[in-house]
Amino acid sequence: MSLSKDRIGGILILLFCLIYAWQSQNIKLLPFQLNSAFHARTVPEVLAVLGVGLSLLVIVFPGTGEGVKWRELNWPLGLSFLVLMSAYGLAVRPAGFLLSTSLFLMVGFAMLGERNIARLLLVAVPLVVAFWALMNYGLSVFIDPLPSFLRS
Amino acid sequence: MLDGILIGLATAFTLQNIAFVIMGCLVGTFIGMLPGLGPMSAIALMIPIAASLEPSAGIILMAAVYYGAIFGGSTSSILINAPGVASTVATSFDGYPMAKSGKAGKALAIAAYSSFSGGVIAALLLLVSAPYLASVSLSFQSTDYFALMVLGLSAVAAFAGKGEVLKALLMTVVGLMLSTVGTDQTVGVPRFTLGMLDLVDGISFLLLVMATFALSEALMAIIKKVDEGKRDEERRAASQLGSMAVTKEEVKEMVPVIGRSSVLGFLIGVLPGAGATIASFLAYGTEQRIAGPEKGKLFGKGSVRGLSAPETANNAAATGSFVPLLTLGIPGSGTTAIMLGALIGYGIQPGPRLYIDQPDVFWSVIISMWLGNIILLVLNLPLIPYIARVLAIPARFLLPLILFFSLIGVYFVSFNTFDIQLMVLFGLAATILRLLSFPMAPMILGFILGGMMEENLRRALLINNDSWSFLWNRPLTLAILLIAAACLFVPVLIPMFKKMRKDTKATSASAD
Repeated sequence: MSLSKDRIGGILILLFCLIYAWQSQNIKLLPFQLNSAFHARTVPEVLAVLGVGLSLLVIVFPGTGEGVKWRELNWPLGLSFLVLMSAYGLAVRPAGFLLSTSLFLMVGFAMLGERNIARLLLVAVPLVVAFWALMNYGLSVFIDPLPSFLRS
Repeated sequence: MLDGILIGLATAFTLQNIAFVIMGCLVGTFIGMLPGLGPMSAIALMIPIAASLEPSAGIILMAAVYYGAIFGGSTSSILINAPGVASTVATSFDGYPMAKSGKAGKALAIAAYSSFSGGVIAALLLLVSAPYLASVSLSFQSTDYFALMVLGLSAVAAFAGKGEVLKALLMTVVGLMLSTVGTDQTVGVPRFTLGMLDLVDGISFLLLVMATFALSEALMAIIKKVDEGKRDEERRAASQLGSMAVTKEEVKEMVPVIGRSSVLGFLIGVLPGAGATIASFLAYGTEQRIAGPEKGKLFGKGSVRGLSAPETANNAAATGSFVPLLTLGIPGSGTTAIMLGALIGYGIQPGPRLYIDQPDVFWSVIISMWLGNIILLVLNLPLIPYIARVLAIPARFLLPLILFFSLIGVYFVSFNTFDIQLMVLFGLAATILRLLSFPMAPMILGFILGGMMEENLRRALLINNDSWSFLWNRPLTLAILLIAAACLFVPVLIPMFKKMRKDTKATSASAD
């Protein structure tokens, strides 16, 4: 049995469905629900059975035998971007919108090959300031522009 | 109906709403033109802005972004043979050869006139049919709604591609599973929250849409190495468009095609789960057959009919997909599923009562479709040479910007940094699944319909004293469920029967 695209996906979703099924048993039922035809666990249990069944069908009867060319993909770069986004999520509040977003964009541009520092600054900073001004003054969506230690 | 049209005109023709239609069309065209980003990502990116507007203005803006994105998708299909979305793939069959032969401007103009006509005719059909359908569906009960939602979800299987049925169904179930995260609506029991307070309200649909479309699209582009040679070709195509004039003969050839494809596209768009992609391919195939052997040979080599048919049909189908949304409250496609989520966010429940309770929203959406199509033709077409320059923005600047707009779009709605982390997680999962060719639209459909389906099922059981007999006692419910079963099993059974027949023939042939 070769590991085609469909089979890998099927196995991943099967794992997800099994965890979902296990977690569905942790849903607490109120005493009056125990004997009712429909309660908080009914739909999750039905879905877990459907999910497991369908993912097994995908694994057994894959639509395509095509594999994934993992080596042609630049995974380190993709993972670096995931880390960058996560770091941005952690920094946006304490570091303020302007600083964190400008850094996020500049690091992102640099990671994709832009080496000219002046261009990095000239694209990122005005865009971030303009966007903040548009949201703040144009659409009344307020977000702290400055780092926490500079806020009054 | 006349009162409704007047309400719609009064709401849509305010200075503010006209400005939103213009802005929506331009932004939609801009985003739709970026390879990979389709109408779903475009609408998702606009939701944070739409959320700060009043309901009719917000919906008008999103509808305008929708047509704009479809138009933009056609432009990139014609200019660089890179359809942003599946519904414009058929456009590239004849649009790109036309552009390659130096008639890019003409191809864009034909596409724009066809889109405009398809959109306007379909909006007229919507205007006539939606109120009647809505009045019929007023008699629907929760059991029928439950059955309709089952039909909507199983239709995903009926219209999935070859070998994709099981995957589409599986992704629908995954969407339904994700919809159960959070507090149970009726008894207030937390489900799948893993003890985290941030999950008590469930997963935000905007977060899921952004992560699975915009974010994962950008991540896929990042991990697949950028072909600089191709980018140069895109830049060249964007700068040389040629004349946009269309001759009398070409118009004569287009008119009957537009008439047929509009009706066909609208009818297909109304079917839940079918949508613009199937409509465009079907219209292309139909016109190729109708054209006869001589003209049919030109298809794929820059035929006017071959370009006009899918363009008309995909726009007509986009309008048609609003019928189940506005009359039944059931999204017929991934895009209308996002619109439904946005309407629910406004506290509006789309369905048969929408045109009675909120006529301004109902009619202004329909009127704005005409307005949107006119704007696309009058404003966007002349601006295409300038908008097309977006294709020249280097990927190293574009991709981080898409990531930023996706993240900040979600953050600006909730102001919760947990959402950014959750989005990163979903973005990773969606990228892996997309690389494995698992479709995302069925998941969004399942996610949106999941909560409503559970609620209607619970209500139906409550009315029927906990008895499941409502499934077969009410003829309408039973009929809808039987159609749903047919949608579910026919696509699986037909190939099996075909294979069995082939095997039997092969055995009898070898026995002879």
